[in-house]
Amino acid sequence: MNEVCFKNIDKDQCWSLTTYEASGGYSVWRKILKGEYTPEQIINELKTSGLRGRGGAGFPTGLKWSFMPRNAEGQKYIVCNSDEGEPGTCKDRDILRFNPHAVIEGMAIGSFVMDATVGYNYIRGEFIEPFDRFEGALKEAYETGLLGKNINGSEVSFDLYAHLGAGAYICGEETALLESIEGKKGQPRFKPPFPANVGLFGKPTTINNTESFASVPDIMAHGGQWFADLGVENSGGTKLFSVSGHVANPANFEVSMGMPFKDLLELAGGMRHGAKLKAVIPGGSSTPVLTAEVAMNMTMDYDGIDKAGSMLGAGSVIVMDDSTCMVEALTRLAHFYYDESCGQCTPCREGTGWLYRVLKRIMDGKGKAEDIDLLMGVQEKIMGNTICALGDAAAMPVESFLRNFRDEFEYYIEHGKSMVKG
Amino acid sequence: MLEIEIDGQLVNAEPGEMVIAVTDREGISVPRFCYHKKLSISASCRMCLVDVEGAPKPQPACSTPVADGMKIHTQNDKAKASQKAVMEFLLINHPLDCPICDQGGECELQDVAVDYGSDVSRFSEGKRIIAPSDIGPLIQTDMTRCIHCTRCVRFGSEIAGIMEMGGTGRGEDLKIEPFLKEGITSELSGNMIDVCPVGALTSKPFRYELRSWQMNSINSIARHDLVGSNLYAQTYKGNVKRLASGDNDAVNETWISDRDRFSYEGLTHDNRLLAPQIKVAGQWKEVEWDVALDFAVKGLKNNILNSRNVQKLGGLASATATTEELHLLQKLLREMGCENLDYRLNIKDLDNAIHLQSNIKLADLEHIDQAIVIGSNIRLEQPMINHRLRKAQLAGAGITTLNVKEFDFNYKTNDIIVAPNEIANTLAGVLRVLVEKSAEEVPAYLLAVTPCAQAIDIASSLLNSDKTVLILGEHVVNNAQAASIANLITEIAKLSNSLTLNLTVTANALGAQRVNFVPNSTGMNVNEMLAAEMRAFVLLDVYPEYDFHHLDEALNTLLNNDVFVISLNGFKNDLVAQYSDVMLPMAAMYETSGTHVNINHEMQSFSAAVGAPGESKPAWKILKVLADLLELPGFHYENSTQVLSEVAHQMTPVHEYDTAINLDKSTVEVETIWTHSPYHTDALLRHATSLRASKIGQINTASINAATAKSLSLSDSDTYLGVPVDITETMADQCVFISSNQATNTGAL
Amino acid sequence: MISDNAKKQIDSWIEKYPEGKQSSAVMEALKIIQKENNNQLTHDSIQAVADYLDMPGIAAAEVATFYENYNHQPVGKHIIRFCHNISCMLNGADDLISHLETKLGVKTGEVTDDGLISVKKVECLGACVGAPMFQIGDQYYENLTIDKIDKIVDGLK
Repeated sequence: MNEVCFKNIDKDQCWSLTTYEASGGYSVWRKILKGEYTPEQIINELKTSGLRGRGGAGFPTGLKWSFMPRNAEGQKYIVCNSDEGEPGTCKDRDILRFNPHAVIEGMAIGSFVMDATVGYNYIRGEFIEPFDRFEGALKEAYETGLLGKNINGSEVSFDLYAHLGAGAYICGEETALLESIEGKKGQPRFKPPFPANVGLFGKPTTINNTESFASVPDIMAHGGQWFADLGVENSGGTKLFSVSGHVANPANFEVSMGMPFKDLLELAGGMRHGAKLKAVIPGGSSTPVLTAEVAMNMTMDYDGIDKAGSMLGAGSVIVMDDSTCMVEALTRLAHFYYDESCGQCTPCREGTGWLYRVLKRIMDGKGKAEDIDLLMGVQEKIMGNTICALGDAAAMPVESFLRNFRDEFEYYIEHGKSMVKG
Repeated sequence: MLEIEIDGQLVNAEPGEMVIAVTDREGISVPRFCYHKKLSISASCRMCLVDVEGAPKPQPACSTPVADGMKIHTQNDKAKASQKAVMEFLLINHPLDCPICDQGGECELQDVAVDYGSDVSRFSEGKRIIAPSDIGPLIQTDMTRCIHCTRCVRFGSEIAGIMEMGGTGRGEDLKIEPFLKEGITSELSGNMIDVCPVGALTSKPFRYELRSWQMNSINSIARHDLVGSNLYAQTYKGNVKRLASGDNDAVNETWISDRDRFSYEGLTHDNRLLAPQIKVAGQWKEVEWDVALDFAVKGLKNNILNSRNVQKLGGLASATATTEELHLLQKLLREMGCENLDYRLNIKDLDNAIHLQSNIKLADLEHIDQAIVIGSNIRLEQPMINHRLRKAQLAGAGITTLNVKEFDFNYKTNDIIVAPNEIANTLAGVLRVLVEKSAEEVPAYLLAVTPCAQAIDIASSLLNSDKTVLILGEHVVNNAQAASIANLITEIAKLSNSLTLNLTVTANALGAQRVNFVPNSTGMNVNEMLAAEMRAFVLLDVYPEYDFHHLDEALNTLLNNDVFVISLNGFKNDLVAQYSDVMLPMAAMYETSGTHVNINHEMQSFSAAVGAPGESKPAWKILKVLADLLELPGFHYENSTQVLSEVAHQMTPVHEYDTAINLDKSTVEVETIWTHSPYHTDALLRHATSLRASKIGQINTASINAATAKSLSLSDSDTYLGVPVDITETMADQCVFISSNQATNTGAL
Repeated sequence: MISDNAKKQIDSWIEKYPEGKQSSAVMEALKIIQKENNNQLTHDSIQAVADYLDMPGIAAAEVATFYENYNHQPVGKHIIRFCHNISCMLNGADDLISHLETKLGVKTGEVTDDGLISVKKVECLGACVGAPMFQIGDQYYENLTIDKIDKIVDGLK
């Protein structure tokens, strides 16, 4: 446990440059500055490591970096997505608070690979403490001569800045995030063109999640194979899981990929007050909810969770015990997507509000028998028809809650009250 | 060239093209709302989702680039399911108030809903309502109907060049609205009505008037400027009810200016002249046409023909007249042996008149690399020409302006502020640099010229650019060195291989030139006529206080009791009534057939969209009958097309003009430049109520800098020549720039 | 409209972005102005920011109304932003919000009579393992209980 991003978490002042360097931090970056790495080497190590995007999509990071036209003329950018906001997810906040230098070094390594001499870390607007930590780390890195132009007299230049959000979940979508850095509304762009070709300020841009960047220095220091071996096939390395909800000790845990869910639950102290597990959302609010039975037989890796019928997402495990009213839980999630829809494309703008209103009506005791089919129909019509993944993210919980806990919805509609709470 | 398959049909496509461009070309119908061929892609309405083989999700046709061998289904179950899903979502919050919606019958949402909508809504929640907002006198908003396609927003930032509409809020609360308290102010704003697919943005003057299917739609041409924008006149029971833009990439693409769009309101203004009138013993009397025409003929005979003093007859016309009308009037006069004719009523000194070619096409303007704009607030004065320049600038062209005042452009310009009496000298400096760079000898008039830094910059920008154009605007028409300025431009153009654009004339002035509506060497020009002892005039749509530069002289001459004045007018005018002996009501724009010659030198013909009101008649008919009654030969026309074909068979004589350049500076202490504000340039516009109420219509300022204001003892609360003073620092010394919606106060100039 | 101090802060953000891309600083500029004006944005303050950054007023207004951190109605000196999303809900956030409302005598969205405090229900603040939680100013308060809330709120001045 706690072998990569969280390896210094128990140390005093774990966020300081001294602590970071004492554990081998910036050794890779210093080698790069001395010309001891080629971009191809780094990409190969990353590919070997099996690191996949930790923001939720799980795209292989090495492959993503290889897509950047590093030899293209002109400015290129590297961007870190620290706009953490999916319900259940709170790992990047802790990485920024407790290991900001790993993010900086990871971004620096990426900047070298992709010849992107300028980087931005987009931190959600409410994360002031993490922002301050990151800014403090940036200051240390600049003062130590690890960032800037022609660093240590080398050919390598890298300037890194933090950008603050202002409260919009959608900016976690990478192209909305780029729009937001450009000082606009966070409305996702249609693709193609992809950011690797037309990104920030119209320039080639690579965007990775905080945890992905923070994993890179150790992957390079210890080798891709070392990282891959920490995990299981198709899911290399360790992963931060934010375990929240009805557990005794909710917290972020960095564990090996492939850990059985029940072991993770154990790490989190088991169910609170010894209650019975009812349901688990394994990867953040947008991933399909699973029943206790399915969850308890699941391993925490991409394939394991996929097999169970959901997604690893950002590793945000929301645990619900049998006191949970699933109608209420889904209504809360539906409200979230309704509130956070950017509004530009039709199915999401109109559909998320529709879903929420029907659910709210059911909660108000005014449900109709046909509402379940209506909800299923509406989510189906949003699914796959939107510019970005928020539409799917809004649809998937509806589908999975209704599929797995239909009886609770039927009961609520019929009796005008919760089956669980009465 | 690529080959793709759409609905089983093999079609060709260009690399980089979007699927929707191919389906549109092939006539395959794909529904859409946000897509507009002249705007950037938004891909947000999702209505054009189609099934692309190999893609797990349906793809929007508007933003999916074609790839060789791509197989697309626009009608299969997957495509239809997505399209229907989007349609259902669009309708849940749409008010479906079609019966009271002005867009009804021409609504894209309504049309598509017929094919893709469902009869029964499953939506039983409350619908979204957006409170009404007032965004100005031209556009009516009903944003509850808005489907958030953002065409109006993109139109603003991409075409109008001023982002006035935006989408505030997010999600379901996304609201399309302007931020400015004064609403929408762009000179091209009405195009938002055309691009809006639903009834969210409709024409305010047209509100609740009619359903679109009740109207006839007639192709026509706008005649307020040199562009001659193509448009549709939509009519009902003999009235123009609305104007909408037409498509012509060589002229106006698919846009029209607000000036072109809303001028029609003037047609039904109370001030129309509706019946022929004759003045008997100083009293006006409405009479039948034959009486009025007899009276006119008698007057001409008594004053001119019987005494054989045809040199005491003059013909003056407004440049807004049609080519046919101008041709018939000059023919009528010349057949009588009269050579006194002119349309250049606004020129102070015709010996100092501007002669400059226009030799660049509108569509080529957007491909230039460098433009020098001299003496023009081109954005407001020539909106559609400015639109092309803006495109050029966005594509990287440099635009340098040489003006007495800094104007608000909707693109990046390099503004040089010069006093009116420094324009010629600055251009002479440019010419001197160019001459020195060429092998030519420096002509005598340039020997004393020392190019200023700006002149050197202009010269090098011309030499360093491939496609360059020199544009001369209306502010210099009465400059003390107007002719020299024009001649300098011609010389600069020669040496820098530039094209030129003469915007000092407008409306159908090129038509007037085409029919030679100027005197030959034996005749008198307008100013000479006004100074001579005349006995009769035929005036074609002249409004003295707006049209004559020398108003006092004009009134002096015309009001003389010995002068018999025949006036053809579309609108009543007190001064006209005072000096005329006969007033013949003529058809205004859209009420007559005719031809407009635009800046591309294209003869654009149009038919009458509606009949003329009351007893008024098309001027070409009035002039023809007048000629017949005068027993002049060659007026056997049955329609205006025959007049035009006569014009087409005639050569325009080449006039020799003085090409001398005189750099002697004017010694006038404070130069005043008087211009009509953009919505007051012709009689129809001056009667268009909504335009007059708009922000541009309200422009009425005498701009002056603080130093000059002080020297004239003027403050912000004063008026100058009756126009409110605006003290601004981005203004040359010792001059006043007036843009006024009032009558020209030339008496004081 | 924009104080020298605010200008200085805005300028330091502008420096982070390429030349000519000063509108990237709009989100922070709006926050800075908001802070100086009773935690609230007005039409004029948005226009002032837009003018300062050389962008259309409507573009700044789009940003000001899109993001949740801006207030367009009067708010308290302290805004308690209470998360009511799923992890917090599972941990009793709703009851705590009710408690807070009763304690302060306001509903969410309202301001206390003395103008000191307003309460707002917000979506996930990204501290789910510390649920239930709220944010006041720059500070997160996690693992809230009724006692903890009382203490925090009583300490607000």
